[in-house]
Amino acid sequence: MAEATPVQIFHMEEKRRQYRSGGFFLKVGLLALFVLVPFLFPSFKTVDLAMQIIMFATLVASFDILLGYTGILSFGHGMFFGIGAYCVAFLVGKYGTPSYANLALGFVIAALVASVLAIVISFLSLRVKAIFFAMITLAIAELAIVLATKLSGFTGGEDGISLNMPGILAVSFSAGNFLGLEITGRILTYYFILLACLGLFLAMLRFTHSPLGRVLQAIRDNVERAEALGYKTFIFQAISITFGCVVAALVGGLYGMWVGYVNPESCLGVLSIMLAILLMCIIGGMGTLYGGIVGAAFFMITETFLPDLQHLAKDFFPSAVFLHNVLERWHLVLGVLFILVVIFFPKGIIGSVREFIDRRK
Amino acid sequence: MTKKHPFPAIETKDLTIRFGGHVAVDHVNLRIDSFFLKSIIGPNGAGKTTLFNLITGQYQPSEGRILLKGKDITKLGVAARTRLGMGRSFQLTNIFPLLTVLENVRVAIQARKGLGLNFWRNYLHFSELEDEAYHILEQVLLEEQWAKAAINLTHGEQRKLEIAILLSLDPEILFLDEPTAGMSQEEVPAILEILQRIKDARDRTMLLVEHKMDLIMSLSDTIAVLQDGRLIADGEPEEIYKSEAVQAAYLGGGVKSE
Repeated sequence: MAEATPVQIFHMEEKRRQYRSGGFFLKVGLLALFVLVPFLFPSFKTVDLAMQIIMFATLVASFDILLGYTGILSFGHGMFFGIGAYCVAFLVGKYGTPSYANLALGFVIAALVASVLAIVISFLSLRVKAIFFAMITLAIAELAIVLATKLSGFTGGEDGISLNMPGILAVSFSAGNFLGLEITGRILTYYFILLACLGLFLAMLRFTHSPLGRVLQAIRDNVERAEALGYKTFIFQAISITFGCVVAALVGGLYGMWVGYVNPESCLGVLSIMLAILLMCIIGGMGTLYGGIVGAAFFMITETFLPDLQHLAKDFFPSAVFLHNVLERWHLVLGVLFILVVIFFPKGIIGSVREFIDRRK
Repeated sequence: MTKKHPFPAIETKDLTIRFGGHVAVDHVNLRIDSFFLKSIIGPNGAGKTTLFNLITGQYQPSEGRILLKGKDITKLGVAARTRLGMGRSFQLTNIFPLLTVLENVRVAIQARKGLGLNFWRNYLHFSELEDEAYHILEQVLLEEQWAKAAINLTHGEQRKLEIAILLSLDPEILFLDEPTAGMSQEEVPAILEILQRIKDARDRTMLLVEHKMDLIMSLSDTIAVLQDGRLIADGEPEEIYKSEAVQAAYLGGGVKSE
């Protein structure tokens, strides 16, 4: 064999360090934490928080495939999430009995509906410039909310749909105690969703590191050049959008399983879901996938614990009235936190930290 | 040896294009022999780039035909001609600025091999693409910069990278539009050396458009001179240099003493 090129040496070196790097331990540690949460913090609030972080991290990562890897701003991502939630809800709630087969079928239908819709949207609007794509997807997302609300015979309208889980995933199921924790259907659902999200995340990592993922980055960088190389850029963008939207729909289905209830506001809402996704993606860092985890964790944790802060303040500083007034308006604090993050981490938390580490090397 | 029995890679027959009343290219009969390097020179506005664009398919001619190895390709578009082995560079630098130098070339090789739609393998699984990319970077003297983002290269290095991208598409015929345009004096010799190397390999036909005649004198096998859209001379560099018509039209007489 010929002498190794510097590129090959670089990759060998990288491979050698793969399981010793700080990043690797961080990922394993994080996964271990999520696995252990029900045992360490068995309260409903923390388990629910961990679950929300896991699901939204995956959802934001799928949005990042569009925004960060393909350079497309879609306001319809929350809609795909909602479509997934509704598809599963239809099968194990409104129109079917809770069985494993119906649950699985719900996910299959969610993926099919999402892919067909994503392809249609791609064909309708990808040829237009970025800002118009954003506007068109926003309009479609708003339309979806109107449809879900008005077609109440079909969708349950504002009242929404309640879901019931089959067999070992049912709320009432219990498999006895294990290490001091009662293994209920909820706990098993937690692990099922954790596993599913892990699988989806790994699939997205592979997608972005595939030859196709590399072409997407090239397209984002210079469309004309990519076209001149012979890539049909439209096909690549359509595939990327479809993939991201299918993942979003699957996460939506998982969300429905966990929350046990879907309605237009909580699943399709542009403000409640879409804006949160966008913020999490920007806070975490675009074009990194892992940014989704950081962004979701930051968003969910502050949103969960900031309201509690006012009680703490009242207990410890009973006389600081101004502090109480500020903390009562905790959305204000949240807003200031967002602004600080955007100022000090212009490339998102992951992006800016990576840049910092690279510069130190 | 191919040099003794040259056969035409590209021929144009009475190639003409009019923009409104203006005849930009006027009945040009040009012949580019396989595995040779031909340069097109001429003063500003002589129609060099227009002729170039006609041959590569950016423009459709008003009259005349273009033959690729005897086959009429006049009606084919850019993409179809690219697939037939014609690769061109642009006057303006056209690279992927945020990708690394290596990735710029790798992604081009991937395009040629048609691996782009693979989404289930890690791209490093196809390590031979990176090896080939590195090898091409060596040819254009850029291998030491492989890990840099392309945007951090100097202008001259970016032009080299462009040639590398072009080479990775492995075209039979290379079309280079002013490869030294906008380059500093120090950067020009390196580009000329790269072109010389590609030419010396004698496995590609090259067509060069150049404004500065002295640059391509030693490099070219043959030189065609355009003036006002017409071909006024075509021959070996020696002949062109001595030709009085060329002297009068292009060199302005005084250059010979330079």
